[in-house]
Amino acid sequence: MKRVVVLALLGLLAIGLVGLVGIAKDTIVVAVDAPPQTMNPHGSDSDANLSIMANLFDGLLKRDASGTLLPALATSWERMDALTWRFHLRQGVKFHNGNDFTWEDVKYTMERLKIPYPVSEFLAFGGLVASVETVNGDPWTIDITTTTPTPYFDQNLHQVFIMDKESTESRSIGEIGEQPIGTGAYKFVEWVKGSYLRMEANEDYWGGAPSVKYAEIRGITEPSTRAAAIATGEVDIVQNIPVELFDIVTGNPNLEAITAPGRRSIWLGLRNTPGFPASDIRVRKAIYMAINEDEIIDKVLRGHGTPCAQIPDAPTVGYDASIERLPYNPEMAKQLLAEAGYPDGFKIKFTGPNDRYVMDEQIAQAIATQLAKVGIEVEIDTKPKAVYFPEMDEHTLDFYLLGWFDGSFDFGRSFSKLLHSVDPDAGLGGLNGAEYSDPALDSLLEASFNIIDPALRADALRLLNRVAMMEKIAIIPLHYYEDSYAVYKGRGISFTPRPDTWIVFSEMSIGN
Amino acid sequence: MGQRDPPRAVVLMLTYITRRIAQSLMVLLAVSMISFVIFQFMGDPVLTLAGRYATQEQQEAVRHSLGLDRPLHVQYFTFIKNALHGDFGLSYVAQVPVMKLIFERLPATVELAATAMVMALLLGVSLGVISSLHPRSVSSRGIMTGSLLGISLPTFLIGILLILVFAVSLHILPSFGRGRVVSIVGKWRTGFLTLDGWRHLILPALTLGMYQLAVLIRLTRGGMLEALQEDYVRTAWAKGLSPRVVIFKHALRNVLIPVVTVAGLQMGELIAFSIVTESIFQWPGSGKLLLNAIYETDNPVIVAYVMIAAVIILSINILVDILYGVLNPRISYD
Repeated sequence: MKRVVVLALLGLLAIGLVGLVGIAKDTIVVAVDAPPQTMNPHGSDSDANLSIMANLFDGLLKRDASGTLLPALATSWERMDALTWRFHLRQGVKFHNGNDFTWEDVKYTMERLKIPYPVSEFLAFGGLVASVETVNGDPWTIDITTTTPTPYFDQNLHQVFIMDKESTESRSIGEIGEQPIGTGAYKFVEWVKGSYLRMEANEDYWGGAPSVKYAEIRGITEPSTRAAAIATGEVDIVQNIPVELFDIVTGNPNLEAITAPGRRSIWLGLRNTPGFPASDIRVRKAIYMAINEDEIIDKVLRGHGTPCAQIPDAPTVGYDASIERLPYNPEMAKQLLAEAGYPDGFKIKFTGPNDRYVMDEQIAQAIATQLAKVGIEVEIDTKPKAVYFPEMDEHTLDFYLLGWFDGSFDFGRSFSKLLHSVDPDAGLGGLNGAEYSDPALDSLLEASFNIIDPALRADALRLLNRVAMMEKIAIIPLHYYEDSYAVYKGRGISFTPRPDTWIVFSEMSIGN
Repeated sequence: MGQRDPPRAVVLMLTYITRRIAQSLMVLLAVSMISFVIFQFMGDPVLTLAGRYATQEQQEAVRHSLGLDRPLHVQYFTFIKNALHGDFGLSYVAQVPVMKLIFERLPATVELAATAMVMALLLGVSLGVISSLHPRSVSSRGIMTGSLLGISLPTFLIGILLILVFAVSLHILPSFGRGRVVSIVGKWRTGFLTLDGWRHLILPALTLGMYQLAVLIRLTRGGMLEALQEDYVRTAWAKGLSPRVVIFKHALRNVLIPVVTVAGLQMGELIAFSIVTESIFQWPGSGKLLLNAIYETDNPVIVAYVMIAAVIILSINILVDILYGVLNPRISYD
């Protein structure tokens, strides 16, 4: 019996050692926290999927690693009037199947965005496009007109990927969802669902052939497995290290941990319907001042976050650096509550997700404890995001936690969805979970819709932001996420994280 | 049971199987109905599918194109009608036919479960026999303690411990994934044909099979202890037969009947519910697919998966019943 055991162990060891082969140097393998969902570039508007699509496809525009909007399939663009945008298209670009990129592909793509399931999740954006026409018969200059004045129209074009009209029309939706044909820096090689997506450098790329020959994406949803995968060197880069494992990763001499300020802010929505305690501005301030954000960052996030005072982050149009957090002051909070007629506090129900944001459930518990100290009794109701987000759409919550970052870098757009009074017909306030409503803020936002001059518009949005945050306490801001990555050292991999967390292989390189 | 003539036995068996299949169909229908209704309350897929910024009108357009604006019973009957034609619809998330999605992932799960089961059976029965021969010896006690751990430790803990020891600390086995796979018939990719595939298989199979292994050890040991006391075994010893013949042919053969039954029943569960193991080891099987589908409210995938799991479990149950009769001819199928 003993001999059998020894033999078995030796066998295991032998198999193990034989298999220790290095990863080829022409490939970068990145472990991401969410696997690709579909290869249909319009089939998912989640950043996890767009991030991957950005390697295979191009938009009319693109963003560099700092978030600046740059030309891509359009070489230049301008806003002609409130409704019209002109684009000069890049000539000589080919799709991976050899087809030429033409203005017809742009027109086709814009129309495709309007087709609901199973084609597009960009219905709202598609609905903005009224027409796509050539200018004076020049097939390389087009005008896109929108149905309503849309100042942030161009801000979205880095995530609207242009598809090949011919091969998209001739293939079934199932095929399109598995075999992408784009113009991107990488060509599709193979997607084994649940395992990996493999791509190969497009040597004929209009922007020059990328330096990394092969790119591989591996979705590893389980955080501890993701950490193990980089610890063993089975992957080269890993995205999103769980905060509880961060110290283990930094302690590993083979790994380089990289953190970057995240774009997403975490904040609390609060009902202001007349009769509800928080309809009184003093109560809103009291709740704000009773929350000890430093303690949350320190104890719950273990230092991996930074306090925020507003919803947008610095690169977003409408961000205002002069907005400051209300100080943590539980005594003042009690006093404000007493003035508002709640000397003994009140009861409030708090709703939030428990599987969406970093430590979301623990943050809820910390807030409940902190508010209890000023007499506010919080009944916590956390649930899976699949149940939570639909509730947000019903606008029945009183007090809730949400994380937000706007892919189009525009606070006007965020506000219209999150805090404008609920108006389903106009598409406003769709994610306004507690039907927050303030006519003054609504009109400030509406006034910004028709401003064409980007600088004036930014001023208008900053004003809206300032009034919402400092006078009205429309929401209670908590903190910005911290994005984290780990890179396996000694393989000469150069990688710089992007604020949008997209994994763009053409920006990486392998040196020696 | 009395004297049976072969034709009658065959007839009995056939009627029995027919009856079981008919019952199974009823069960399937019930499963489909229950899962269909339950998953209506799992969250609204329309919100995601219309996109973050969609207006109510656009959301309604998506609802309509999904057919979710029709009454529930109409949706259900359409589902059943299509299902009978083998069409379970498109995945909401991947926009790919559901059956294709599941069958692409099933081989990974079947290979994992089969390896886990074979390992559990071989190890479980041999360790069970060993520990029953000298129940008070140190090695027997060791085995029993180990099996107690195997039963009581949760799967995810076993998995993470194995990764820590064999992948992170010792660097002898990979921590995740399936390794190099080779396409055999059609879409079936197998990891059985490459060394890399086997290396990736060891830890997850051990994790998945641990509970089964522990159960089989205890079952075999219990049965053996009992059988070794039986008169016919004593007689066999008394006749002077070799220990091998007594232990394996006389005692173990009788013990194997419940062992095989339990193992068979568990095989279905291993395939259907390997979710935890698959998610720890990022095993690209169907359990992982189900988990993602639940996260994403991908109802067509969930319903189809539950149906397939039910079919697998029901067919294995029927097979085990038949096998039972083969192993033990005294059982009849009235």
